Amino acid sequence: MPSSNATLRILYSDHHRWLNGWLRSKLGNAADAADLAQDTFVRLLNRSELLELKAPRAFLRTVARGLVIDHWRREELERAYLEALARLPEQHVPSPESRELVFELLESIAKMLDGLKPKVRRVFLLAQCEGLTHKQIAERMEISLRSVERYVADALYHCYLLRYES
Amino acid sequence: MNQSSALDHRKPSPVVVRQAIEWLMRLNNPTASARVQQRCEQWRAAHPDHECAWQRVLSLNADLHNRFQALPASGAAFAALEDSAQRLGRRQALKVLSGLLVMGSSAWLARDVLPWQQWSADFATEVGQRSGFALADGTRLQLNTDTAVSQDFHQQQRLIKLSKGEISVTCGADAQSITPRPLMVSCKHGVFEGISGRFVVRQDDERTRVSVTEGRVLIHSPAAASITVQAGQSYSVTQQRAQILPEPSMDPGAWADGLIVTRNMPLGEFLDEVSRYRHGYLGCAQDIAGLRLSGVFRLEDTDKLLAILPQTLPVQLKYRTRFWVTLQPNA
Repeated sequence: MPSSNATLRILYSDHHRWLNGWLRSKLGNAADAADLAQDTFVRLLNRSELLELKAPRAFLRTVARGLVIDHWRREELERAYLEALARLPEQHVPSPESRELVFELLESIAKMLDGLKPKVRRVFLLAQCEGLTHKQIAERMEISLRSVERYVADALYHCYLLRYES
Repeated sequence: MNQSSALDHRKPSPVVVRQAIEWLMRLNNPTASARVQQRCEQWRAAHPDHECAWQRVLSLNADLHNRFQALPASGAAFAALEDSAQRLGRRQALKVLSGLLVMGSSAWLARDVLPWQQWSADFATEVGQRSGFALADGTRLQLNTDTAVSQDFHQQQRLIKLSKGEISVTCGADAQSITPRPLMVSCKHGVFEGISGRFVVRQDDERTRVSVTEGRVLIHSPAAASITVQAGQSYSVTQQRAQILPEPSMDPGAWADGLIVTRNMPLGEFLDEVSRYRHGYLGCAQDIAGLRLSGVFRLEDTDKLLAILPQTLPVQLKYRTRFWVTLQPNA
Protein backbone atom coordinates (compact mmCIF):
# COMPACT_ATOMS: atom_id res chain seq x y z
CA MET A 1 0.00 0.00 0.00
CA PRO A 2 1.49 3.37 -0.92
CA SER A 3 2.08 5.88 1.83
CA SER A 4 -0.08 8.92 2.08
CA ASN A 5 2.73 11.12 0.81
CA ALA A 6 3.31 8.92 -2.19
CA THR A 7 -0.40 9.07 -3.00
CA LEU A 8 -0.31 12.80 -2.72
CA ARG A 9 2.68 12.95 -5.04
CA ILE A 10 0.85 10.88 -7.64
CA LEU A 11 -2.24 13.01 -7.19
CA TYR A 12 -0.15 16.11 -7.66
CA SER A 13 1.66 15.00 -10.78
CA ASP A 14 -1.52 13.63 -12.38
CA HIS A 15 -3.86 16.47 -11.63
CA HIS A 16 -1.99 19.62 -10.73
CA ARG A 17 -2.19 21.08 -14.23
CA TRP A 18 -5.83 20.24 -14.55
CA LEU A 19 -6.64 21.81 -11.17
CA ASN A 20 -4.71 24.92 -12.11
CA GLY A 21 -6.77 25.26 -15.27
CA TRP A 22 -10.01 24.67 -13.40
CA LEU A 23 -9.15 27.31 -10.83
CA ARG A 24 -8.11 29.78 -13.51
CA SER A 25 -11.50 29.42 -15.18
CA LYS A 26 -13.14 30.30 -11.84
CA LEU A 27 -10.88 33.12 -10.79
CA GLY A 28 -9.89 34.59 -14.14
CA ASN A 29 -6.42 35.17 -12.76
CA ALA A 30 -3.38 32.91 -13.16
CA ALA A 31 -1.50 34.04 -10.04
CA ASP A 32 -4.47 33.49 -7.70
CA ALA A 33 -5.16 30.16 -9.39
CA ALA A 34 -1.59 28.96 -8.84
CA ASP A 35 -1.76 30.00 -5.17
CA LEU A 36 -5.03 28.23 -4.54
CA ALA A 37 -3.92 25.09 -6.38
CA GLN A 38 -0.91 24.99 -4.06
CA ASP A 39 -3.14 25.56 -1.03
CA THR A 40 -5.41 22.76 -2.15
CA PHE A 41 -2.56 20.26 -2.08
CA VAL A 42 -1.26 21.58 1.23
CA ARG A 43 -4.69 20.96 2.73
CA LEU A 44 -4.46 17.35 1.68
CA LEU A 45 -1.08 16.65 3.31
CA ASN A 46 -2.48 15.08 6.42
CA ARG A 47 -5.58 13.42 5.21
CA SER A 48 -5.65 9.66 5.53
CA GLU A 49 -8.65 9.13 3.25
CA LEU A 50 -6.34 9.93 0.34
CA LEU A 51 -5.35 6.28 0.27
CA GLU A 52 -8.68 5.15 -1.02
CA LEU A 53 -9.43 7.95 -3.37
CA LYS A 54 -11.72 6.72 -6.13
CA ALA A 55 -12.61 9.98 -7.85
CA PRO A 56 -9.57 12.21 -7.36
CA ARG A 57 -10.74 15.11 -9.51
CA ALA A 58 -14.13 15.37 -7.85
CA PHE A 59 -12.36 15.30 -4.51
CA LEU A 60 -9.82 17.97 -5.51
CA ARG A 61 -12.62 20.09 -6.89
CA THR A 62 -14.50 19.91 -3.61
CA VAL A 63 -11.49 21.05 -1.62
CA ALA A 64 -10.56 23.72 -4.17
CA ARG A 65 -14.13 25.01 -4.35
CA GLY A 66 -14.08 25.71 -0.61
CA LEU A 67 -10.88 27.70 -1.11
CA VAL A 68 -12.36 29.60 -4.06
CA ILE A 69 -15.31 30.61 -1.92
CA ASP A 70 -12.97 31.69 0.91
CA HIS A 71 -11.06 33.73 -1.64
CA TRP A 72 -14.20 35.39 -2.96
CA ARG A 73 -15.44 36.07 0.56
CA ARG A 74 -12.21 37.87 1.44
CA GLU A 75 -12.36 39.84 -1.79
CA GLU A 76 -15.96 40.93 -1.32
CA LEU A 77 -15.43 41.72 2.34
CA GLU A 78 -12.37 43.85 1.61
CA ARG A 79 -14.25 45.76 -1.03
CA ALA A 80 -17.38 46.25 1.08
CA TYR A 81 -15.32 47.27 4.11
CA LEU A 82 -13.36 49.87 2.15
CA GLU A 83 -16.60 51.23 0.71
CA ALA A 84 -18.11 51.45 4.17
CA LEU A 85 -15.00 53.24 5.51
CA ALA A 86 -15.14 55.70 2.64
CA ARG A 87 -18.62 56.70 3.72
CA LEU A 88 -17.54 57.44 7.31
CA PRO A 89 -16.78 60.94 8.52
CA GLU A 90 -13.03 61.39 8.82
CA GLN A 91 -12.80 61.38 12.61
CA HIS A 92 -14.40 57.89 12.70
CA VAL A 93 -12.02 56.26 10.22
CA PRO A 94 -9.80 53.82 12.15
CA SER A 95 -6.02 53.77 11.82
CA PRO A 96 -4.47 51.32 9.34
CA GLU A 97 -3.31 49.00 12.17
CA SER A 98 -6.69 48.75 13.84
CA ARG A 99 -8.27 48.37 10.41
CA GLU A 100 -6.22 45.21 9.95
CA LEU A 101 -7.44 43.77 13.24
CA VAL A 102 -11.03 44.70 12.53
CA PHE A 103 -10.78 43.10 9.13
CA GLU A 104 -9.60 39.80 10.61
CA LEU A 105 -12.46 39.86 13.06
CA LEU A 106 -14.93 40.65 10.29
CA GLU A 107 -13.61 37.77 8.26
CA SER A 108 -14.06 35.31 11.11
CA ILE A 109 -17.62 36.54 11.58
CA ALA A 110 -18.40 36.42 7.86
CA LYS A 111 -17.15 32.84 7.73
CA MET A 112 -19.28 31.90 10.70
CA LEU A 113 -22.41 33.38 9.11
CA ASP A 114 -21.81 31.65 5.79
CA GLY A 115 -24.78 29.52 4.78
CA LEU A 116 -27.39 31.47 6.72
CA LYS A 117 -30.44 32.50 4.75
CA PRO A 118 -30.24 36.18 3.79
CA LYS A 119 -33.07 37.28 6.06
CA VAL A 120 -31.73 35.33 9.02
CA ARG A 121 -28.28 36.82 8.56
CA ARG A 122 -29.64 40.30 8.27
CA VAL A 123 -31.74 40.05 11.40
CA PHE A 124 -28.84 38.58 13.33
CA LEU A 125 -26.45 41.31 12.21
CA LEU A 126 -28.91 44.06 13.01
CA ALA A 127 -29.17 42.65 16.53
CA GLN A 128 -25.48 41.96 17.10
CA CYS A 129 -23.72 44.72 15.14
CA GLU A 130 -26.21 47.51 15.39
CA GLY A 131 -27.62 46.59 18.78
CA LEU A 132 -31.23 46.97 17.67
CA THR A 133 -33.98 45.42 19.77
CA HIS A 134 -36.12 42.71 18.23
CA LYS A 135 -38.99 45.16 18.00
CA GLN A 136 -36.87 47.70 16.11
CA ILE A 137 -35.69 44.99 13.73
CA ALA A 138 -39.27 43.88 13.09
CA GLU A 139 -40.22 47.43 12.16
CA ARG A 140 -37.16 48.04 10.03
CA MET A 141 -37.53 44.83 8.06
CA GLU A 142 -41.32 44.89 8.00
CA ILE A 143 -41.68 41.41 9.41
CA SER A 144 -43.37 40.12 12.56
CA LEU A 145 -41.71 40.10 15.96
CA ARG A 146 -42.19 36.34 16.02
CA SER A 147 -40.21 36.02 12.76
CA VAL A 148 -37.39 38.11 14.18
CA GLU A 149 -37.19 35.84 17.21
CA ARG A 150 -37.24 32.75 15.06
CA TYR A 151 -34.47 34.11 12.83
CA VAL A 152 -32.27 35.04 15.79
CA ALA A 153 -32.78 31.55 17.23
CA ASP A 154 -31.93 30.01 13.82
CA ALA A 155 -28.71 32.01 13.65
CA LEU A 156 -27.69 31.02 17.16
CA TYR A 157 -28.38 27.39 16.36
CA HIS A 158 -26.25 27.67 13.23
CA CYS A 159 -23.36 29.08 15.28
CA TYR A 160 -23.85 26.39 17.89
CA LEU A 161 -23.50 23.63 15.31
CA LEU A 162 -20.36 25.21 13.90
CA ARG A 163 -18.78 25.49 17.28
CA TYR A 164 -19.75 22.23 18.90
CA GLU A 165 -20.59 19.79 16.17
CA SER A 166 -18.27 20.30 13.26
CA MET B 1 -15.77 25.58 34.19
CA ASN B 2 -15.39 22.22 35.93
CA GLN B 3 -19.02 21.64 35.48
CA SER B 4 -18.90 22.17 31.75
CA SER B 5 -15.85 19.97 31.29
CA ALA B 6 -17.71 17.16 33.07
CA LEU B 7 -20.40 17.64 30.46
CA ASP B 8 -18.03 17.66 27.53
CA HIS B 9 -18.75 14.18 26.29
CA ARG B 10 -22.48 14.76 26.04
CA LYS B 11 -24.24 15.50 22.79
CA PRO B 12 -27.59 17.17 23.42
CA SER B 13 -30.17 16.56 20.69
CA PRO B 14 -31.13 19.39 18.31
CA VAL B 15 -34.45 19.75 20.14
CA VAL B 16 -32.70 20.30 23.46
CA VAL B 17 -30.27 22.81 21.93
CA ARG B 18 -33.18 24.71 20.42
CA GLN B 19 -34.88 24.76 23.81
CA ALA B 20 -31.75 26.11 25.46
CA ILE B 21 -31.66 28.90 22.85
CA GLU B 22 -35.34 29.67 23.52
CA TRP B 23 -34.62 29.98 27.24
CA LEU B 24 -31.65 32.24 26.63
CA MET B 25 -33.75 34.53 24.48
CA ARG B 26 -36.57 34.60 27.01
CA LEU B 27 -34.18 35.51 29.80
CA ASN B 28 -32.46 38.15 27.66
CA ASN B 29 -35.77 39.89 27.31
CA PRO B 30 -35.64 42.84 29.76
CA THR B 31 -39.20 42.14 30.88
CA ALA B 32 -38.45 38.52 31.87
CA SER B 33 -39.97 37.70 35.25
CA ALA B 34 -38.54 35.81 38.19
CA ARG B 35 -40.94 33.03 37.31
CA VAL B 36 -39.33 32.58 33.88
CA GLN B 37 -35.96 32.38 35.62
CA GLN B 38 -37.29 29.73 37.92
CA ARG B 39 -38.79 27.66 35.14
CA CYS B 40 -35.55 27.86 33.22
CA GLU B 41 -33.70 26.48 36.24
CA GLN B 42 -36.18 23.65 36.49
CA TRP B 43 -35.66 22.85 32.84
CA ARG B 44 -31.87 22.83 33.28
CA ALA B 45 -32.11 20.48 36.24
CA ALA B 46 -34.41 18.05 34.45
CA HIS B 47 -31.65 16.30 32.47
CA PRO B 48 -27.84 16.53 32.20
CA ASP B 49 -28.20 17.16 28.45
CA HIS B 50 -30.27 20.24 29.25
CA GLU B 51 -27.57 21.64 31.50
CA CYS B 52 -24.90 20.79 28.92
CA ALA B 53 -26.77 22.56 26.11
CA TRP B 54 -27.43 25.50 28.41
CA GLN B 55 -23.75 25.93 29.34
CA ARG B 56 -22.71 25.76 25.72
CA VAL B 57 -25.32 28.22 24.55
CA LEU B 58 -24.27 30.63 27.31
CA SER B 59 -20.62 30.36 26.38
CA LEU B 60 -21.45 30.78 22.68
CA ASN B 61 -23.51 33.84 23.49
CA ALA B 62 -20.67 35.36 25.51
CA ASP B 63 -18.22 34.66 22.72
CA LEU B 64 -20.47 36.26 20.10
CA HIS B 65 -21.00 39.23 22.34
CA ASN B 66 -17.25 39.73 22.76
CA ARG B 67 -16.55 39.44 19.09
CA PHE B 68 -19.20 41.93 18.05
CA GLN B 69 -18.27 44.30 20.89
CA ALA B 70 -14.72 44.40 19.56
CA LEU B 71 -15.96 45.88 16.28
CA PRO B 72 -16.05 49.67 16.02
CA ALA B 73 -19.62 50.93 16.42
CA SER B 74 -19.81 53.04 13.32
CA GLY B 75 -22.14 51.11 11.09
CA ALA B 76 -19.19 50.17 8.91
CA ALA B 77 -19.02 46.63 10.28
CA PHE B 78 -22.68 45.97 9.56
CA ALA B 79 -22.45 47.41 6.05
CA ALA B 80 -19.29 45.45 5.27
CA LEU B 81 -20.68 42.13 6.52
CA GLU B 82 -24.11 42.51 5.00
CA ASP B 83 -23.04 43.88 1.61
CA SER B 84 -20.25 41.39 1.16
CA ALA B 85 -22.44 38.43 2.11
CA GLN B 86 -25.06 39.53 -0.42
CA ARG B 87 -22.46 39.85 -3.15
CA LEU B 88 -20.86 36.56 -2.27
CA GLY B 89 -24.24 34.81 -2.41
CA ARG B 90 -24.99 36.30 -5.81
CA ARG B 91 -21.57 35.50 -7.09
CA GLN B 92 -21.86 31.85 -6.07
CA ALA B 93 -25.40 31.47 -7.37
CA LEU B 94 -24.93 33.33 -10.62
CA LYS B 95 -21.66 31.67 -11.49
CA VAL B 96 -23.37 28.35 -11.09
CA LEU B 97 -26.41 29.26 -13.09
CA SER B 98 -24.62 30.93 -15.93
CA GLY B 99 -22.62 27.78 -16.44
CA LEU B 100 -19.19 29.10 -15.47
CA LEU B 101 -18.84 26.81 -12.51
CA VAL B 102 -20.75 23.86 -13.82
CA MET B 103 -18.60 20.90 -14.66
CA GLY B 104 -21.43 18.46 -15.12
CA SER B 105 -21.80 18.09 -11.40
CA SER B 106 -25.41 17.91 -10.36
CA ALA B 107 -24.39 17.51 -6.72
CA TRP B 108 -22.88 20.97 -6.78
CA LEU B 109 -26.08 22.37 -8.22
CA ALA B 110 -28.26 20.67 -5.68
CA ARG B 111 -26.15 21.75 -2.74
CA ASP B 112 -25.51 25.32 -3.59
CA VAL B 113 -28.64 26.43 -5.32
CA LEU B 114 -31.03 24.90 -2.84
CA PRO B 115 -30.96 27.78 -0.35
CA TRP B 116 -32.62 29.92 -2.99
CA GLN B 117 -35.65 27.73 -2.86
CA GLN B 118 -35.94 28.17 0.86
CA TRP B 119 -36.47 31.89 0.77
CA SER B 120 -39.93 32.71 1.88
CA ALA B 121 -42.21 34.10 -0.76
CA ASP B 122 -43.12 37.73 -0.43
CA PHE B 123 -46.10 37.68 -2.78
CA ALA B 124 -48.52 34.87 -3.43
CA THR B 125 -51.87 34.09 -5.00
CA GLU B 126 -54.34 31.29 -4.33
CA VAL B 127 -55.93 29.02 -6.89
CA GLY B 128 -58.21 31.15 -9.07
CA GLN B 129 -56.67 34.43 -7.90
CA ARG B 130 -54.59 36.82 -9.95
CA SER B 131 -52.87 39.99 -8.86
CA GLY B 132 -50.62 42.70 -10.23
CA PHE B 133 -48.58 45.59 -8.90
CA ALA B 134 -45.63 47.82 -9.65
CA LEU B 135 -42.26 47.30 -7.96
CA ALA B 136 -40.04 50.14 -6.76
CA ASP B 137 -37.96 50.21 -9.95
CA GLY B 138 -41.00 50.62 -12.19
CA THR B 139 -41.19 46.93 -13.12
CA ARG B 140 -44.74 45.67 -13.33
CA LEU B 141 -45.25 42.20 -11.90
CA GLN B 142 -48.38 40.12 -12.41
CA LEU B 143 -49.04 36.84 -10.65
CA ASN B 144 -51.25 34.21 -12.17
CA THR B 145 -53.22 31.60 -10.20
CA ASP B 146 -51.46 29.63 -7.42
CA THR B 147 -48.18 31.51 -7.63
CA ALA B 148 -45.49 32.50 -5.15
CA VAL B 149 -42.59 34.89 -5.71
CA SER B 150 -40.11 36.77 -3.60
CA GLN B 151 -38.30 39.92 -4.45
CA ASP B 152 -34.68 40.63 -3.66
CA PHE B 153 -33.36 43.95 -4.91
CA HIS B 154 -29.80 45.01 -4.13
CA GLN B 155 -27.41 47.70 -5.23
CA GLN B 156 -26.19 45.58 -8.12
CA GLN B 157 -29.19 43.56 -9.11
CA ARG B 158 -32.94 43.23 -9.20
CA LEU B 159 -33.92 39.63 -8.55
CA ILE B 160 -37.39 38.13 -8.67
CA LYS B 161 -37.55 34.55 -7.54
CA LEU B 162 -40.42 32.39 -8.74
CA SER B 163 -41.08 29.53 -6.33
CA LYS B 164 -44.18 28.26 -8.09
CA GLY B 165 -46.74 29.26 -10.67
CA GLU B 166 -46.59 31.88 -13.38
CA ILE B 167 -45.70 35.55 -13.63
CA SER B 168 -45.74 38.26 -16.23
CA VAL B 169 -42.95 40.82 -15.98
CA THR B 170 -42.92 44.19 -17.69
CA CYS B 171 -39.37 45.50 -17.38
CA GLY B 172 -39.08 48.79 -15.51
CA ALA B 173 -36.63 51.54 -16.39
CA ASP B 174 -35.01 51.50 -12.92
CA ALA B 175 -34.46 55.22 -13.38
CA GLN B 176 -33.52 55.89 -9.76
CA SER B 177 -30.55 53.57 -9.66
CA ILE B 178 -27.21 55.22 -10.32
CA THR B 179 -25.66 52.14 -11.86
CA PRO B 180 -27.61 49.90 -14.23
CA ARG B 181 -28.95 46.83 -12.43
CA PRO B 182 -29.92 43.72 -14.39
CA LEU B 183 -33.46 42.47 -13.89
CA MET B 184 -33.34 38.73 -13.20
CA VAL B 185 -36.07 36.15 -12.72
CA SER B 186 -34.89 32.88 -11.22
CA CYS B 187 -36.79 29.64 -11.00
CA LYS B 188 -35.79 26.06 -10.39
CA HIS B 189 -34.76 25.45 -14.00
CA GLY B 190 -32.68 28.53 -14.69
CA VAL B 191 -32.34 32.27 -14.63
CA PHE B 192 -33.86 34.75 -17.08
CA GLU B 193 -32.63 38.25 -17.59
CA GLY B 194 -35.18 40.75 -18.86
CA ILE B 195 -33.45 43.13 -21.25
CA SER B 196 -36.56 45.04 -22.27
CA GLY B 197 -40.28 44.69 -22.86
CA ARG B 198 -42.60 42.10 -21.36
CA PHE B 199 -42.26 38.38 -20.78
CA VAL B 200 -44.05 35.52 -19.09
CA VAL B 201 -42.42 32.79 -16.99
CA ARG B 202 -44.36 29.66 -16.16
CA GLN B 203 -42.80 27.04 -13.92
CA ASP B 204 -44.07 23.47 -14.00
CA ASP B 205 -42.59 20.46 -12.25
CA GLU B 206 -40.43 19.27 -15.10
CA ARG B 207 -39.79 22.46 -17.02
CA THR B 208 -40.22 26.20 -17.15
CA ARG B 209 -41.58 28.05 -20.14
CA VAL B 210 -40.50 31.57 -20.94
CA SER B 211 -42.40 33.55 -23.57
CA VAL B 212 -41.52 37.02 -24.72
CA THR B 213 -44.38 39.24 -25.88
CA GLU B 214 -42.29 42.38 -26.41
CA GLY B 215 -38.57 43.13 -26.26
CA ARG B 216 -35.86 40.61 -25.38
CA VAL B 217 -34.91 38.14 -22.65
CA LEU B 218 -31.72 36.19 -22.01
CA ILE B 219 -31.88 32.61 -20.75
CA HIS B 220 -29.04 31.64 -18.44
CA SER B 221 -29.28 27.92 -17.89
CA PRO B 222 -26.76 25.72 -16.09
CA ALA B 223 -26.32 23.57 -19.16
CA ALA B 224 -25.34 25.97 -21.91
CA ALA B 225 -24.36 29.43 -23.03
CA SER B 226 -26.93 32.22 -22.76
CA ILE B 227 -29.73 32.26 -25.32
CA THR B 228 -31.57 35.36 -26.49
CA VAL B 229 -35.34 35.04 -26.74
CA GLN B 230 -36.98 37.49 -29.12
CA ALA B 231 -40.50 38.85 -29.08
CA GLY B 232 -43.00 36.21 -30.16
CA GLN B 233 -40.77 33.28 -29.15
CA SER B 234 -41.25 30.74 -26.38
CA TYR B 235 -38.64 28.43 -24.89
CA SER B 236 -38.92 25.36 -22.74
CA VAL B 237 -36.12 25.29 -20.17
CA THR B 238 -34.96 22.41 -17.99
CA GLN B 239 -31.77 22.10 -15.99
CA GLN B 240 -30.35 20.15 -18.93
CA ARG B 241 -31.38 22.26 -21.87
CA ALA B 242 -33.33 25.11 -23.40
CA GLN B 243 -35.40 24.45 -26.47
CA ILE B 244 -37.46 26.73 -28.67
CA LEU B 245 -41.17 25.81 -28.74
CA PRO B 246 -43.36 25.74 -31.84
CA GLU B 247 -46.03 28.42 -31.97
CA PRO B 248 -48.35 27.65 -29.06
CA SER B 249 -52.07 27.04 -29.50
CA MET B 250 -52.73 29.48 -26.68
CA ASP B 251 -51.59 33.06 -26.17
CA PRO B 252 -49.12 32.69 -23.28
CA GLY B 253 -49.70 36.17 -21.87
CA ALA B 254 -53.47 36.55 -22.23
CA TRP B 255 -54.15 35.53 -18.61
CA ALA B 256 -52.65 38.83 -17.51
CA ASP B 257 -55.69 40.43 -19.14
CA GLY B 258 -58.01 37.88 -17.55
CA LEU B 259 -58.39 35.83 -20.72
CA ILE B 260 -57.59 32.50 -22.30
CA VAL B 261 -57.08 32.98 -26.03
CA THR B 262 -56.80 29.78 -28.06
CA ARG B 263 -56.30 28.81 -31.67
CA ASN B 264 -57.09 25.20 -32.56
CA MET B 265 -56.35 24.05 -29.04
CA PRO B 266 -57.28 20.44 -28.21
CA LEU B 267 -60.15 20.35 -25.71
CA GLY B 268 -58.19 18.14 -23.30
CA GLU B 269 -55.37 20.69 -23.08
CA PHE B 270 -57.85 23.52 -22.78
CA LEU B 271 -59.51 21.85 -19.78
CA ASP B 272 -56.10 21.27 -18.15
CA GLU B 273 -55.52 24.96 -18.55
CA VAL B 274 -58.90 25.94 -17.08
CA SER B 275 -58.43 23.57 -14.14
CA ARG B 276 -55.42 25.60 -12.99
CA TYR B 277 -57.91 28.27 -12.01
CA ARG B 278 -60.33 26.04 -10.07
CA HIS B 279 -60.37 23.62 -7.20
CA GLY B 280 -61.52 20.06 -7.78
CA TYR B 281 -61.56 17.80 -10.79
CA LEU B 282 -62.19 18.92 -14.36
CA GLY B 283 -61.81 16.47 -17.24
CA CYS B 284 -63.36 15.02 -20.32
CA ALA B 285 -64.06 11.70 -21.98
CA GLN B 286 -61.15 10.40 -24.04
CA ASP B 287 -63.05 10.46 -27.37
CA ILE B 288 -63.63 14.22 -27.25
CA ALA B 289 -60.22 15.28 -25.87
CA GLY B 290 -58.99 15.93 -29.41
CA LEU B 291 -61.78 18.33 -30.45
CA ARG B 292 -60.31 21.69 -31.43
CA LEU B 293 -61.25 24.96 -29.87
CA SER B 294 -60.59 28.55 -30.96
CA GLY B 295 -61.79 31.62 -29.14
CA VAL B 296 -61.48 34.12 -26.35
CA PHE B 297 -62.63 33.03 -22.90
CA ARG B 298 -62.94 35.12 -19.77
CA LEU B 299 -61.25 33.73 -16.66
CA GLU B 300 -63.19 35.63 -14.01
CA ASP B 301 -65.84 32.88 -13.67
CA THR B 302 -64.76 29.45 -14.87
CA ASP B 303 -68.24 27.95 -14.36
CA LYS B 304 -69.58 30.47 -16.86
CA LEU B 305 -66.64 29.77 -19.12
CA LEU B 306 -67.44 26.04 -19.10
CA ALA B 307 -71.13 26.70 -19.75
CA ILE B 308 -70.22 28.25 -23.12
CA LEU B 309 -68.53 25.08 -24.40
CA PRO B 310 -71.72 23.14 -25.30
CA GLN B 311 -72.71 26.07 -27.54
CA THR B 312 -69.66 25.65 -29.76
CA LEU B 313 -68.75 21.96 -29.44
CA PRO B 314 -70.82 18.76 -29.53
CA VAL B 315 -70.35 18.19 -25.79
CA GLN B 316 -72.36 18.35 -22.60
CA LEU B 317 -71.35 19.30 -19.07
CA LYS B 318 -71.87 16.90 -16.16
CA TYR B 319 -71.65 18.36 -12.67
CA ARG B 320 -71.35 15.48 -10.18
CA THR B 321 -70.67 18.11 -7.51
CA ARG B 322 -69.42 21.68 -7.82
CA PHE B 323 -65.88 20.32 -7.62
CA TRP B 324 -66.26 17.37 -9.93
CA VAL B 325 -66.99 18.34 -13.52
CA THR B 326 -66.66 16.26 -16.66
CA LEU B 327 -67.43 16.89 -20.31
CA GLN B 328 -69.03 14.13 -22.32
CA PRO B 329 -69.94 13.71 -25.98
CA ASN B 330 -73.50 14.66 -26.90
CA ALA B 331 -75.72 11.63 -26.92
